[in-house]
Amino acid sequence: MQASVHFYSYFKDLTGCGQILESVADGSTLAELLKKIFQRFPKLAAMEKSMLVAVGLDYQPRDYILKDGDEVSLFPPVQGG
Amino acid sequence: MKYRSFHPSRVDDSQLCTCLKRQLTITTEPIDEAALLRERTMSDAMGAVIYFLGVVRGGEGEQKISAIEYEAFKKMAEHQFHLLFDQIEKRWPIASIRLVHRIGIVKVNEPSLWVEVVAPHRGESFAACQWLIDEMKRVVPIWKKPVVL
Repeated sequence: MQASVHFYSYFKDLTGCGQILESVADGSTLAELLKKIFQRFPKLAAMEKSMLVAVGLDYQPRDYILKDGDEVSLFPPVQGG
Repeated sequence: MKYRSFHPSRVDDSQLCTCLKRQLTITTEPIDEAALLRERTMSDAMGAVIYFLGVVRGGEGEQKISAIEYEAFKKMAEHQFHLLFDQIEKRWPIASIRLVHRIGIVKVNEPSLWVEVVAPHRGESFAACQWLIDEMKRVVPIWKKPVVL
Protein backbone atom coordinates (compact mmCIF):
# COMPACT_ATOMS: atom_id res chain seq x y z
CA MET A 1 0.00 0.00 0.00
CA GLN A 2 1.23 3.49 -0.80
CA ALA A 3 0.62 6.71 1.05
CA SER A 4 1.54 10.12 -0.27
CA VAL A 5 3.21 12.26 2.36
CA HIS A 6 3.29 16.05 2.10
CA PHE A 7 5.59 18.38 4.05
CA TYR A 8 4.84 22.00 4.92
CA SER A 9 6.71 25.00 6.29
CA TYR A 10 10.32 24.28 7.32
CA PHE A 11 9.70 20.55 7.11
CA LYS A 12 10.20 21.03 3.35
CA ASP A 13 13.69 22.35 4.10
CA LEU A 14 14.44 19.47 6.47
CA THR A 15 13.42 16.86 3.88
CA GLY A 16 14.48 18.73 0.75
CA CYS A 17 11.13 18.05 -0.89
CA GLY A 18 7.44 18.85 -0.62
CA GLN A 19 6.03 15.40 -1.18
CA ILE A 20 7.02 11.73 -1.29
CA LEU A 21 5.36 8.37 -1.80
CA GLU A 22 6.00 5.81 0.94
CA SER A 23 5.11 2.12 0.89
CA VAL A 24 3.73 0.53 4.04
CA ALA A 25 2.15 -2.82 4.84
CA ASP A 26 -1.64 -3.04 4.70
CA GLY A 27 -3.17 -2.15 8.07
CA SER A 28 -0.24 0.05 9.08
CA THR A 29 -0.79 2.92 11.48
CA LEU A 30 0.37 6.49 11.17
CA ALA A 31 2.98 5.73 13.84
CA GLU A 32 4.43 2.96 11.65
CA LEU A 33 4.50 5.27 8.64
CA LEU A 34 6.24 7.96 10.71
CA LYS A 35 8.90 5.46 11.77
CA LYS A 36 9.72 4.83 8.10
CA ILE A 37 9.71 8.57 7.37
CA PHE A 38 12.10 9.25 10.25
CA GLN A 39 14.50 6.57 8.96
CA ARG A 40 14.44 8.26 5.56
CA PHE A 41 14.68 11.82 6.96
CA PRO A 42 16.48 11.67 10.35
CA LYS A 43 16.24 15.47 10.80
CA LEU A 44 12.45 15.14 11.06
CA ALA A 45 12.71 12.71 13.97
CA ALA A 46 13.82 15.53 16.27
CA MET A 47 10.50 17.27 15.54
CA GLU A 48 8.37 14.26 16.43
CA LYS A 49 6.90 15.62 19.67
CA SER A 50 5.68 18.91 18.25
CA MET A 51 4.82 17.57 14.79
CA LEU A 52 1.20 17.84 13.66
CA VAL A 53 -0.17 15.04 11.48
CA ALA A 54 -3.21 15.20 9.23
CA VAL A 55 -4.81 12.71 6.88
CA GLY A 56 -6.74 14.50 4.17
CA LEU A 57 -8.03 17.68 5.81
CA ASP A 58 -8.33 16.40 9.41
CA TYR A 59 -5.88 15.80 12.23
CA GLN A 60 -5.50 12.14 13.16
CA PRO A 61 -3.93 10.34 16.13
CA ARG A 62 -0.85 8.18 15.70
CA ASP A 63 -2.92 4.97 15.94
CA TYR A 64 -4.97 5.90 12.84
CA ILE A 65 -4.97 2.95 10.41
CA LEU A 66 -3.92 4.03 6.94
CA LYS A 67 -5.97 3.32 3.86
CA ASP A 68 -4.66 3.02 0.32
CA GLY A 69 -4.41 6.45 -1.29
CA ASP A 70 -4.42 8.38 1.98
CA GLU A 71 -2.77 11.79 1.74
CA VAL A 72 -0.75 12.38 4.89
CA SER A 73 0.51 15.85 5.81
CA LEU A 74 3.29 16.54 8.29
CA PHE A 75 3.97 20.01 9.60
CA PRO A 76 5.28 22.01 12.55
CA PRO A 77 2.98 23.87 15.00
CA VAL A 78 0.82 26.39 13.18
CA GLN A 79 1.32 30.16 13.48
CA GLY A 80 -1.49 31.98 11.71
CA GLY A 81 -2.53 35.54 12.46
CA MET B 1 -10.46 43.24 -3.84
CA LYS B 2 -13.99 41.83 -3.93
CA TYR B 3 -14.91 39.62 -1.02
CA ARG B 4 -17.19 36.65 -1.38
CA SER B 5 -20.74 37.08 -0.20
CA PHE B 6 -22.08 35.53 2.98
CA HIS B 7 -22.78 31.82 2.99
CA PRO B 8 -25.25 30.49 5.51
CA SER B 9 -23.90 27.42 7.24
CA ARG B 10 -27.18 25.59 6.79
CA VAL B 11 -29.06 25.41 3.54
CA ASP B 12 -32.57 25.03 4.97
CA ASP B 13 -34.28 28.35 4.07
CA SER B 14 -36.46 28.20 7.17
CA GLN B 15 -33.30 28.52 9.28
CA LEU B 16 -31.81 31.47 7.43
CA CYS B 17 -32.82 34.04 10.04
CA THR B 18 -31.08 32.22 12.89
CA CYS B 19 -28.02 30.48 11.42
CA LEU B 20 -24.49 31.79 11.48
CA LYS B 21 -23.52 33.64 8.34
CA ARG B 22 -19.90 33.05 7.49
CA GLN B 23 -17.44 34.52 5.03
CA LEU B 24 -13.92 33.18 4.79
CA THR B 25 -11.20 34.47 2.49
CA ILE B 26 -7.60 33.27 2.35
CA THR B 27 -5.84 35.44 -0.18
CA THR B 28 -2.54 36.82 -1.41
CA GLU B 29 -4.25 40.17 -2.06
CA PRO B 30 -3.92 43.04 0.46
CA ILE B 31 -6.77 43.23 2.97
CA ASP B 32 -9.14 46.04 1.94
CA GLU B 33 -10.59 47.22 5.25
CA ALA B 34 -12.72 49.95 3.66
CA ALA B 35 -14.39 47.46 1.32
CA LEU B 36 -15.02 45.03 4.19
CA LEU B 37 -16.64 47.74 6.30
CA ARG B 38 -18.81 48.86 3.38
CA GLU B 39 -20.04 45.29 2.89
CA ARG B 40 -21.15 44.82 6.51
CA THR B 41 -24.78 43.81 6.87
CA MET B 42 -26.68 43.81 10.16
CA SER B 43 -30.21 43.13 11.30
CA ASP B 44 -32.11 45.20 13.90
CA ALA B 45 -31.51 42.49 16.51
CA MET B 46 -27.74 42.87 16.39
CA GLY B 47 -26.18 45.23 18.94
CA ALA B 48 -22.46 44.40 18.85
CA VAL B 49 -19.78 44.35 16.19
CA ILE B 50 -16.24 43.40 17.13
CA TYR B 51 -13.48 43.47 14.62
CA PHE B 52 -9.85 42.61 15.04
CA LEU B 53 -6.94 43.45 12.83
CA GLY B 54 -3.66 41.53 13.09
CA VAL B 55 -0.76 43.61 11.78
CA VAL B 56 2.81 42.56 10.99
CA ARG B 57 5.25 43.93 13.56
CA GLY B 58 8.70 45.25 12.63
CA GLY B 59 10.52 42.69 14.77
CA GLU B 60 10.50 39.04 15.69
CA GLY B 61 12.15 38.82 19.07
CA GLU B 62 15.19 41.06 18.81
CA GLN B 63 15.49 40.69 15.05
CA LYS B 64 14.28 43.50 12.80
CA ILE B 65 12.28 42.28 9.85
CA SER B 66 10.77 43.84 6.73
CA ALA B 67 7.88 41.41 6.21
CA ILE B 68 6.46 38.03 7.06
CA GLU B 69 5.88 35.35 4.48
CA TYR B 70 2.74 33.34 5.27
CA GLU B 71 2.30 29.83 3.90
CA ALA B 72 -0.96 27.88 4.12
CA PHE B 73 -2.19 24.38 3.41
CA LYS B 74 -5.17 26.19 1.98
CA LYS B 75 -7.77 23.44 1.62
CA MET B 76 -7.15 22.18 5.13
CA ALA B 77 -7.04 25.72 6.51
CA GLU B 78 -10.48 26.44 5.03
CA HIS B 79 -11.82 23.16 6.40
CA GLN B 80 -10.42 23.82 9.88
CA PHE B 81 -11.79 27.39 9.91
CA HIS B 82 -15.25 26.03 9.10
CA LEU B 83 -14.96 23.47 11.91
CA LEU B 84 -14.21 26.39 14.27
CA PHE B 85 -17.19 28.34 12.90
CA ASP B 86 -19.35 25.24 13.53
CA GLN B 87 -18.23 25.21 17.17
CA ILE B 88 -18.89 28.94 17.55
CA GLU B 89 -22.39 28.42 16.21
CA LYS B 90 -23.01 25.84 18.94
CA ARG B 91 -21.50 27.92 21.77
CA TRP B 92 -22.65 31.50 21.17
CA PRO B 93 -25.62 33.26 19.52
CA ILE B 94 -23.46 34.84 16.83
CA ALA B 95 -25.14 36.23 13.70
CA SER B 96 -22.12 36.45 11.43
CA ILE B 97 -18.40 35.96 11.16
CA ARG B 98 -16.21 37.35 8.44
CA LEU B 99 -12.54 36.42 8.37
CA VAL B 100 -9.80 37.32 5.92
CA HIS B 101 -6.29 35.86 6.26
CA ARG B 102 -3.62 37.08 3.94
CA ILE B 103 -0.89 34.70 2.74
CA GLY B 104 2.34 35.29 0.82
CA ILE B 105 4.57 38.26 1.65
CA VAL B 106 2.97 40.77 4.04
CA LYS B 107 5.08 43.85 4.78
CA VAL B 108 5.56 45.39 8.23
CA ASN B 109 2.56 47.56 9.26
CA GLU B 110 0.25 45.75 6.81
CA PRO B 111 -2.62 43.62 8.11
CA SER B 112 -2.39 39.85 7.81
CA LEU B 113 -5.68 39.04 9.55
CA TRP B 114 -9.11 40.70 9.72
CA VAL B 115 -11.89 39.16 11.78
CA GLU B 116 -15.38 40.54 12.39
CA VAL B 117 -17.99 39.03 14.71
CA VAL B 118 -21.57 40.37 14.82
CA ALA B 119 -23.84 39.36 17.70
CA PRO B 120 -26.77 40.67 19.75
CA HIS B 121 -24.53 41.67 22.70
CA ARG B 122 -20.87 42.52 23.29
CA GLY B 123 -20.14 39.63 25.66
CA GLU B 124 -20.61 36.89 23.10
CA SER B 125 -18.90 38.86 20.34
CA PHE B 126 -15.74 39.47 22.40
CA ALA B 127 -15.71 35.88 23.65
CA ALA B 128 -16.24 34.31 20.23
CA CYS B 129 -13.66 36.56 18.53
CA GLN B 130 -11.02 35.83 21.19
CA TRP B 131 -11.74 32.10 21.09
CA LEU B 132 -11.63 31.98 17.29
CA ILE B 133 -8.22 33.65 17.10
CA ASP B 134 -6.80 31.47 19.90
CA GLU B 135 -8.06 28.29 18.21
CA MET B 136 -6.90 29.45 14.79
CA LYS B 137 -3.38 29.66 16.20
CA ARG B 138 -3.72 26.09 17.44
CA VAL B 139 -5.30 24.21 14.52
CA VAL B 140 -5.41 26.17 11.25
CA PRO B 141 -2.41 25.20 9.10
CA ILE B 142 -0.85 28.55 8.33
CA TRP B 143 2.82 29.26 9.05
CA LYS B 144 4.96 32.35 8.99
CA LYS B 145 8.55 33.00 8.09
CA PRO B 146 10.20 36.35 8.88
CA VAL B 147 11.75 38.22 5.97
CA VAL B 148 14.88 39.90 7.31
CA LEU B 149 15.82 43.44 6.28
